Amino acid sequence: MRLGSDATLLGLCPNGVYYQEAPEGAKQFVIVSLVEEHDEGTFEQRGFEDALYMVEARMASTAGGNIQAAAARIDALLEDVPIEAAGFHAMACFRESRLRMTEVDDADPSIRWFRRGGMYRVQVSLV
Amino acid sequence: MAIRSGRTGRVRWSPSGAGTPADLVEIISLNAWTLSLRTDFEEVTAFGDNNKVYIPGMRDISGTVGGFYNGSELALVRATEETEPGLLELSPNDIDGNLSGTPADLPMHYSGLAYLDCEINCSLAAPRITGNFRAAGSWTLPNQEVA
Repeated sequence: MRLGSDATLLGLCPNGVYYQEAPEGAKQFVIVSLVEEHDEGTFEQRGFEDALYMVEARMASTAGGNIQAAAARIDALLEDVPIEAAGFHAMACFRESRLRMTEVDDADPSIRWFRRGGMYRVQVSLV
Repeated sequence: MAIRSGRTGRVRWSPSGAGTPADLVEIISLNAWTLSLRTDFEEVTAFGDNNKVYIPGMRDISGTVGGFYNGSELALVRATEETEPGLLELSPNDIDGNLSGTPADLPMHYSGLAYLDCEINCSLAAPRITGNFRAAGSWTLPNQEVA
């Protein structure tokens, strides 16, 4: 929500922000994926939820764009800005590690996909 | 009876030391407690014995409670300010009834007067809180009274 409604990030990644999978044909977008999640219990109830998300900008080499700026914008929106969600109390949101990689397109080897972002830990409390 | 998960355990505390369950308030955000009933043993080995021989002394009542630090739950912190013992109740789950059946609506529990201290451990992870208690009077164990 925070990423998908940010005009600056959408300016850098005009195809939008998606969970798990972007639509076919997208060339500049942000992908959010849940890497792992575990719950911490307290007596008689769940205490808090602890999730690790991979959040990265992806850009095709043919589309141009500034992937460094996109990754920086993602970090500005998430680092130490706890996530507010209905029914939960915000605990923490922070980057655990940085991501930077380049992949060759499966269909067209002349195209490179640039990926930058990070692994973000998100914690929300139920009590 | 069966082996139960401790997921529905609880810790209740009354700083005033009042002796009725109605005065007890659950301390939230905890997820562990321990109770030590260790007994001192005195060696009474005599000439002619083939091995060491012991007799039991007094049983200890002490232990710990622990969990996550919750800024809206400072019962353990406040307990360190008390000069009089409070009433502490420890339940391993909410399924097993008290063997004595009194009162029947309470889960099996161990309770009695105690002094509490606490320690807060803050790091980049969720902060944790731990309390140590010592008996300050006779405790009630399931199905029996500790004299």
